[in-house]
Amino acid sequence: MGPYRAMARIAWRNALAYRVPFLMSLSMMVFNLVAMFALWQALLGDGNSLAGFTWPQMKAYLLVSFFTNCLVSTFTDFAMASRIRSGAVAVDLVKPVDYQKSRLAEALGFALLEAAAAATVCAVVLVAFGGVPLPSPGRLALFVASLAAVVPLKFLIAYMCGLLCFWTQNYLGISLARGAVSGILSGATVPLAFFPAWLRQVAEVLPFQAVTNTPAMLFLGRNPGLPGALAVAVQLLWIVALWWLARRLWHVAVRRLTVHGG
Amino acid sequence: MHTLRVYRRSLGAHLRATLEYQADFWILVVAAVLTQGAGLLLIATIFARVPRIHGWGVWEVVLIFGMMVLAQGTSELLAEGTWGLAGLINRGELDRMLLRPYPCLLQVCSSRVGMNAFGNLTVGGGLLVSALAHLDVAWTPGRVALAAVLLPSALLIKVSLTVVANSTSFWLRGAINTFAGGLDQLGELTKYPLSIYSVGLQAVLATALPFAFIGFFPVSVFLQHGRLAWVGLLTPLVAAWCVFLAVTVFSRGLRRYESAGN
Repeated sequence: MGPYRAMARIAWRNALAYRVPFLMSLSMMVFNLVAMFALWQALLGDGNSLAGFTWPQMKAYLLVSFFTNCLVSTFTDFAMASRIRSGAVAVDLVKPVDYQKSRLAEALGFALLEAAAAATVCAVVLVAFGGVPLPSPGRLALFVASLAAVVPLKFLIAYMCGLLCFWTQNYLGISLARGAVSGILSGATVPLAFFPAWLRQVAEVLPFQAVTNTPAMLFLGRNPGLPGALAVAVQLLWIVALWWLARRLWHVAVRRLTVHGG
Repeated sequence: MHTLRVYRRSLGAHLRATLEYQADFWILVVAAVLTQGAGLLLIATIFARVPRIHGWGVWEVVLIFGMMVLAQGTSELLAEGTWGLAGLINRGELDRMLLRPYPCLLQVCSSRVGMNAFGNLTVGGGLLVSALAHLDVAWTPGRVALAAVLLPSALLIKVSLTVVANSTSFWLRGAINTFAGGLDQLGELTKYPLSIYSVGLQAVLATALPFAFIGFFPVSVFLQHGRLAWVGLLTPLVAAWCVFLAVTVFSRGLRRYESAGN
């Protein structure tokens, strides 16, 4: 555990040292939150409800979605991609630590700071706008557990996309495509309840929905009792499955590595 | 004339270089389509449930959205190089450009081609045409003339604002200008009818950071939509102001430039 804990600490310190990029990428997500708040307020502000969402419920949904968006944002995979492209990954291979666990440790260290920053923004918004229905303590505990599960889940999706750099030069495109696809299928762009039935069914069998939809539905109390606990179990299952899949992908990918000179 | 020819040839050279990596090209085209697709999905799901947002119908909003995407594509084609300006300054590579007998700003702009430009230009153009077809616009000579003035002005505003945002690199001095990214994201707010925002935010997006003149105001005056439609007539003036600002801020910054020293 020792080296991994150290890596997590270094990632956390790195983020603290380079505050400006960190805060700027946070501000981008805040701008998006502002747009979504304004848009849905225009639609629901006068007491309407759409697809079972009232304005207070939509506010809660947008905040949970903002929070999950902030966790494990682009740092992990962009750093990884640039090391793979430059060949610096060869140094990582030499180190007597597991590559996947090391990257997870970094993502976790970073996520602590991201969570703190996102929580601050959410608190400000709550004070300014107010009126969000809060879940019961038991439900809140389940919600926090599902938020914690989001970190490894998002990490694994980003990690596998980062590995694609062993095949392609340009990571920007992959990252943009991943953002769009996971934005749609996780429910971060629009709640899944707004989708046509077929798209909703597709989204529900994929891992992306466990990133935003699951915690948001828990917070809103849409799946009381056993289904709520099952939703968290599904998140954990996805983590195990994707962890294994990422390992397989790494073993295939690393064989393609050619590093010129040194 | 000579200046334009050199600009075109410089872009052409970068275009050919980038097209060498065909897989990357297609990844970025797909990424652009997916990203804009997510935005369209949001619009489509909302308008599947409500007929209008603050008096704006679905194709009117699509027209604004299409303008924004087209402008983004244009800026990625003509001024993508400015996103590398921070790196050029940071590494002292701007020295090389200062030695050449050609305007430094244009060299920076044409030092890169944004590969998602083609995806965005195609999607934006497609949205523009299909929105106009559905809106049943009466193409009187006056309307045609209006469109012929509004479209290039709007695109010029986006390109100029990108230059202004990235010219801040002369003062910020990081290797990556995340501030410009934040501003760009703020501009994304104007993809939706401006009236959904608070008055203060509307004022900022219409005056200090006139992103609303890329899509919202030109479309307003073209469709004669709303009380403030006449503001759209100012679009060419705003374009002239933005170009002036871009040139001024860039040359002010250039005067501050000190080489990295090696």
